[in-house]
Amino acid sequence: MIEVAQLRKEYGDLVAVGGVSFTAETGAIFGLLGPNGAGKTTTIGCISGLLEPTAGTVRVRGHDVVREGTRAKASLGVVPQEIALYEDLSAGENVRFWGQAYGLGGSKLRARMTDVLEITGLLDRADDRVDQFSGGMKRRLNFACGIVHEPQVLLLDEPTVGVDPQSRVRLLDLVREQANQGVCVLYTTHYMEEAQSMCDRLAIIDHGHIIAQGSLEELQAQMGERDLVRVSGSFDENDLRRVFSRDEDVEVVTVDDAQATLSVRQASSKLPTLLAALTRADSEVRDITVSQPSLESLFIKLTGKELRE
Amino acid sequence: MRFLLATVVKDLIRRRRDPIALLLWTGIPLAIGGLIFLAFGGDDAGPSGRLLVADQDHTVLSALLTGAYQQGPLAEIIEVEVVELEEGHERIDAGEASGLLIIPEGFSAAVLESEPFEISLVRNPAQRIVPGIIEESLSLVVESTFYLQRLFGEPLDVIVGTQPDDANVVPDSTVASVSVAFDQIVDRTRPYLFPPVIELETTSPGGDEEGFDFARLFFPSMLFMALLFMAQGLSEDIWRERSQGTLRRVIATPQRVATFLVGKLLAGAMLMLVVIGLGLIAGRWVFGIELHGLPMALVWTTFAGMMLLAMMVLVQLFASSERTGNILTGAAIFPLAMLGGSFFPFEAMPDWLASVGRYTPNGWALTKLNQVFAGELPALDLLQSIAAVALVIVVFVWLSMRRIRGRFAHS
Repeated sequence: MIEVAQLRKEYGDLVAVGGVSFTAETGAIFGLLGPNGAGKTTTIGCISGLLEPTAGTVRVRGHDVVREGTRAKASLGVVPQEIALYEDLSAGENVRFWGQAYGLGGSKLRARMTDVLEITGLLDRADDRVDQFSGGMKRRLNFACGIVHEPQVLLLDEPTVGVDPQSRVRLLDLVREQANQGVCVLYTTHYMEEAQSMCDRLAIIDHGHIIAQGSLEELQAQMGERDLVRVSGSFDENDLRRVFSRDEDVEVVTVDDAQATLSVRQASSKLPTLLAALTRADSEVRDITVSQPSLESLFIKLTGKELRE
Repeated sequence: MRFLLATVVKDLIRRRRDPIALLLWTGIPLAIGGLIFLAFGGDDAGPSGRLLVADQDHTVLSALLTGAYQQGPLAEIIEVEVVELEEGHERIDAGEASGLLIIPEGFSAAVLESEPFEISLVRNPAQRIVPGIIEESLSLVVESTFYLQRLFGEPLDVIVGTQPDDANVVPDSTVASVSVAFDQIVDRTRPYLFPPVIELETTSPGGDEEGFDFARLFFPSMLFMALLFMAQGLSEDIWRERSQGTLRRVIATPQRVATFLVGKLLAGAMLMLVVIGLGLIAGRWVFGIELHGLPMALVWTTFAGMMLLAMMVLVQLFASSERTGNILTGAAIFPLAMLGGSFFPFEAMPDWLASVGRYTPNGWALTKLNQVFAGELPALDLLQSIAAVALVIVVFVWLSMRRIRGRFAHS
């Protein structure tokens, strides 16, 4: 398991991660969901020992990554966001090198090389140089190199970025398989659908802070039965907030001159009332969209912005 | 240890798949060395040329004059060819010879009678060295002829003036009188000639050293030029490790960054070992350069190359980008090569510059290599030097490791 407590990473005045805490359990996938620049990769960097935390502690299977770095890292498998492979080596040579980096050798290494190349569908291309591979094949090989030593804790930093749909499905299956085998998986992504479908538990991170965490059900519960209503047009913020201030079923999430976002209980049945209230607030409505409760709507509710912004 | 070996093997495989780079690193110094070698005397053959002689006198003395060019060292430089005057002029105009010596009729008579006479030498204006040699040696021959006439004029006159009898035989009485005359002259001059009263002693700096061997002088410099180029080229790989993410991935493994770095240095050192080994074999057995202590030279050069590589890697790590790194290392190797005797041998530099250059890392190592080649570096001294180099490598690796962990891998 991974235990992160009050993790903080600063670069001068810039706070990349500001007091993050979470626990990822064995045999489960813990998702770290957040937009680009939220602090996901920095958190992964601190857990993998690549970065030294400014404050806080990170433990991997009980070993502090700063004080017992070698022990902690020995049980870690890291699949970095960028494809970290030797393009001038073959797939087999890459897997062999990274296996040796984790102390494997001899027949065990050979057996593991065959296993991981087979499960990633690259066994028949084992002798081909990586620079002849497609992006999806490189992603799969990147994953193979991360699991060749059978890690008990697996860190996956946005492993599906830029991957074709077929390879993506295959990769996600592989990740799920790892968790089923008892591996503790920490999975970062900015794809909401991926997080929803893959993760047993989730933490939503923004600006270096975790703004919500729990199981998918727990997070959705934070939204209650509320839908997210996005209205385009022209608005006066004060009038809008005044109109909805006494309505417990409506909460103004964000509002600017051209767009308002409202959190509304059972929005579909309240649309006529909503439109009437907007008219009373001297708003001009050009478009209206209703979204069911989701991680994205929760993210918008919590941060006032969309996940992909 | 396993990871160290894995890193070495990994880098060697990668290098094997990029032979062009290896060829460039070794080819450039070879090309530069070859050009300098050719430009400054790599050709062992001395100057040579052809002297055309238009002998219109056809006497014993005129034959003696041209014969002077067909004996001793001059014969190795100058090939004499007797031609008719007209042909001689045509061939000189066509640039086919270095000079045309014209001996007009009456030469012998004039010499014997001590009368002024003129012989002509036409030089090829397109050539400088050989016509100069011909002219200088001709003036010596003419001078010698004058003294010969002074000493042996009388008997020579007898020889030239004697008419053979019907059987084309010089009378015995004439031969006997000429012999006696020669003998008396030699007896009179013996105190001055045997032994000569003036002795000429020729010495050259360096006592009993062998003659100037340009190849031997430039060969070690060429080796170090190759090492510098290789060190620069190999050091760039640290940027490749960073840009392709493998450096960060290594840091995330339980292995030490230092092991990874040393593995890379060892791989580089092994390539240098092979290149320098081939260079030494070629130098000694293909080009016949006199080199001593080849195994020691190989070990020393490899260690020195590893030190240069570690230094270049450190320079790369302090650069803000790969481009800057290449500019910085490029800016470092050219002054090092120039100053450290890798471009021009120390022997070809002004003394003050050479003494400064010997303090550069490659200059210091090159000086040691020259001592090894000359058989002047005891094994103990070599071991001490290797220990010093190893210490410098350790310091460079430590600094590099700190730099990688501190900023390089993350920025």
